[in-house]
Amino acid sequence: MILAVLFANSEGNILVERFNGVPAEERLHWRSFLVKLGADNLKGVKNEELLVACHKSVYIVYTVLGDVSIFVVGKDEYDELALSEVIFVITSAVKDVCGKPPTERLFLDKYGRICLCLDEIVWKGYLENTEKDRIRRLIRLKPPSEF
Amino acid sequence: MAQPLVKKDDDRDDEADYSPFLGIEKGAVLQEARVFNDPQLDARRCSQVITKLLYLLNQGETFTKVEATEVFFAVTKLFQSRDIGLRRMVYLMIKELSPSADEVIIVTSSLMKDMNSKTDMYRANAIRVLCRITDGTLLTQIERYLKQAIVDKNPVVASAALVSGIHLLQTNPEIVKRWSNEVQEAVQSRAALVQFHALALLHQIRQNDRLAVSKLVTSLTRGTVRSPLAQCLLIRYTSQVIRESSNINQTGDRPFYDYLESCLRHKAEMVIFEAAKAITELSGVTNRELTPAITVLQLFLSSSKPVLRFAAVRTLNKVAMTHPMAVTNCNIDMESLISDPNRSIATLAITTLLKTGNESSVDRLMKQITNFMSDIADEFKIVVVEAIRSLCLKFPLKYRSLMNFLSNILREEGGFEYKKAIVDSIVILIRDIPDAKESGLLHLCEFIEDCEFTYLSTQILHFLGIEGPKTSDPSKYIRYIYNRVHLENATVRASAVSTLAKFGALVDSLKPRIFILLRRCLFDSDDEVRDRATLYLNTLEGDGSIVETDEEVKDFLFGSLEVPLANLETSLKNYEPSEEPFDINSVPKEIKSQPLAEKKAPGKKQTGLGAPPSGPPSTVDAYDKLLSSIPEFSSFGNLFKSSPPVELTEAETEYAVNVVKHIFDSHVVFQYNCTNTIPEQLLENVTVLVDASEAEDFTEVASKPLRALPYDTPGQTFVAFEKPEGVSAVGKFSNMLRFIVKEVDPSTGEADEDGVEDEYQLEDLEVVAADYVLKVPVSNFRNAWESMDPDSEQVDEYGLGPRESLTEAVNAVISLLGMQPCEGSEVVPNNSRSHTCLLSGVYIGNVKVLVRLSFGIDSTKEVAMKLAVRSDDISISSAIHDIVASG
Repeated sequence: MILAVLFANSEGNILVERFNGVPAEERLHWRSFLVKLGADNLKGVKNEELLVACHKSVYIVYTVLGDVSIFVVGKDEYDELALSEVIFVITSAVKDVCGKPPTERLFLDKYGRICLCLDEIVWKGYLENTEKDRIRRLIRLKPPSEF
Repeated sequence: MAQPLVKKDDDRDDEADYSPFLGIEKGAVLQEARVFNDPQLDARRCSQVITKLLYLLNQGETFTKVEATEVFFAVTKLFQSRDIGLRRMVYLMIKELSPSADEVIIVTSSLMKDMNSKTDMYRANAIRVLCRITDGTLLTQIERYLKQAIVDKNPVVASAALVSGIHLLQTNPEIVKRWSNEVQEAVQSRAALVQFHALALLHQIRQNDRLAVSKLVTSLTRGTVRSPLAQCLLIRYTSQVIRESSNINQTGDRPFYDYLESCLRHKAEMVIFEAAKAITELSGVTNRELTPAITVLQLFLSSSKPVLRFAAVRTLNKVAMTHPMAVTNCNIDMESLISDPNRSIATLAITTLLKTGNESSVDRLMKQITNFMSDIADEFKIVVVEAIRSLCLKFPLKYRSLMNFLSNILREEGGFEYKKAIVDSIVILIRDIPDAKESGLLHLCEFIEDCEFTYLSTQILHFLGIEGPKTSDPSKYIRYIYNRVHLENATVRASAVSTLAKFGALVDSLKPRIFILLRRCLFDSDDEVRDRATLYLNTLEGDGSIVETDEEVKDFLFGSLEVPLANLETSLKNYEPSEEPFDINSVPKEIKSQPLAEKKAPGKKQTGLGAPPSGPPSTVDAYDKLLSSIPEFSSFGNLFKSSPPVELTEAETEYAVNVVKHIFDSHVVFQYNCTNTIPEQLLENVTVLVDASEAEDFTEVASKPLRALPYDTPGQTFVAFEKPEGVSAVGKFSNMLRFIVKEVDPSTGEADEDGVEDEYQLEDLEVVAADYVLKVPVSNFRNAWESMDPDSEQVDEYGLGPRESLTEAVNAVISLLGMQPCEGSEVVPNNSRSHTCLLSGVYIGNVKVLVRLSFGIDSTKEVAMKLAVRSDDISISSAIHDIVASG
């Protein structure tokens, strides 16, 4: 299960947070934990360079893309490698929508699109789509090109 | 770092770069949502409003029930618009709002229409939305469409239906299970993602049907799997099948191993890693099977991708727990990871190195770790401290540098858990390595001079009281202890008083001076401190009026309670204040074993990952304590070995019984662990009648019945036998459980007065030669062999008759002797005609034994074996030959 996908700006403010199977009372804890993890480790990290951590049986893979930091949390079959696949799909979709690693402003301008992409990528905790071209078409309600 | 929980819009005032959501406010956005009701819909404007709503929701904002309902109804109006972009937003918005059951009805018809639409993308999205918001009744109505969608030729539609199926399986399993045929078809799909989703769903549908999973794996491992993700799933399911089948076929190969091994050459790293991990987790994995997996993991260690490095080192760390030698090849790569910028990777590398390192590398390693410790968090430090503790126990000669390291980090800043881990480690080292005692105690003394944790101070003071008086110069600790009386809080002061008293009681030369110090404590401001000082002064200075002899004083101060603390706690809690004082003799002395619930769990959840569930490390200690607390067995001397429990009943029977064989020099004690699984019964006076007619050397000398065995509370009964000293007597015992059974009223839990005597047949039990040998490894077999007296060597040759393979012959001899295979020599390379296997162990009477076995197999599969034994006692060498000759 992909437990959470979270986007924050460089100051640690939340831009998008989506939880799956995490009780409401634990979300605040996760949010602050992830933001702190990012603040401690993401300084000076190159775009899309992946960082990884694990806490008990939960894995976290995170990175920066432009002004935005992205965190993905998973457990069981979504171990560090599966999550790196998920985050790769997310970063490429975001880049695709924004045309480049986004500034915070650009990210917010394309907010609706990005939400649609996330909707195509993660379906209540499961990875659904993995190719950015297909995702680009799906969010416009167009059938995948290979079809 | 900025406040993480502040919303984005609160802290921006830069005009040029303002956020599109600047000043966004829920109330205003809800007002704006009224545009959804306009007769002339402005699709662009509506999309913007939905984006704002999504922004609010994605920041953790919640809508009240009324607000959500209002927005939901408004959004449903948007189905009228033909704008595709807007429609896509509407689908998302409905999912986000997750409307309640009575509201869903409003959109069902629109969604049903979309689900039958000619536009594929409408179908896919409508399926996803419907499945998200639907309940069981609606699901039966749309089931037909979903089944069609699963085999739809558009992969997006098929995936939408399959992923929906995965979710619906949780809530409506009986419906989803009816889709097996369609899902089965989708598994063969040419679209990679469809195959991935179908495989996941099919496995979930069939996960309880072993045969079906096995068939699925068999067919797919032979066929083509298109996406790396699906391949990873298949590898996971394959290891599940391997775990459950657990039989190695006739050629000595594991089923499906070849498949896993072939995945190591896949082009996707994800698949390679998954296969490597699966191989390392095979139960009873051999070195030959491990090697290719370790090789690819070693390559990953130097990957440029942190995730791969992390995954590899995490897996190797696990392997190092069970097969440290297999990982040593990677040590150089791992040493370079100590400086990895990702601290998780560095910590894992260090702890792995600590597990696999050899004696000569300890100093170098400690140097590297010292630099590393300053910049990691406490939780990582604890892991490192624990690893250092085990390393020190493994290489006691290196205690000096390891103890120094621990004392250095003890002085640095750190939280309670971290400090506790260090103190615990030092205490363990002091206990297990006599040479480390004095320096360790001094380190602890220095630590309490400046320790902010009361719990740790009192623990150390207590420990000083036990160990300090036994050192060569006990007086040097007094200063540290007495300082506590001046400088600390009442709890620590009271502990310090007790510790001082212990020194006074045990070291006569210090007694007068201790008394002076204790008298000063009589003026303490705290009651407990004064009371303790008074008590100790009166007992130690005693004129005979309070206690009679010096021995009694020591017994009073140092004597243990002789009852397990947990039992004492329970009894005290149950004690109701009355005229009758609490009687410590009424506290049960039996150590409670694990309750029924826990015991059943491993059978069900047996994952087979890593090592088999072994008992806690202190099992032998616990057995030793338990047995010596039983007067009948206290004269048997030191416990030599306790076997793992042998089940004497089938699983799921009325009474579950297993037995542990405890071997002493001239006695054997059988500990029968019994569990009553019938709530309506209470068993009393439980004994096991043992018939030893097929075990001539054994004579029953004692038996200890179990007074009562209530439901689900395990208890033990014991039977002890005498046997000739030092002889590895063998024999077969038949067992009958005898007891008085009483009916229990389930409503009140009370048992009937009268009971009926009954018996229950248990399986037979054997004492075999291997029970008299402890598996004790040696690190360098050749050195150990050469350091033993060559005159003690006895050599002979044996014919083992026709065997399936060399592996089978080697395993048979190892289990016959019950000794520890050394240097991986238990693994026979494929197709080899001869093999040498090295074994080490300790024979009863603490005699070290080394064995060199040379096997040869001919074309008719006849196996011949040469057995060479060296031991500290030549008679033991012959005894080993006797075991083989009679086996």
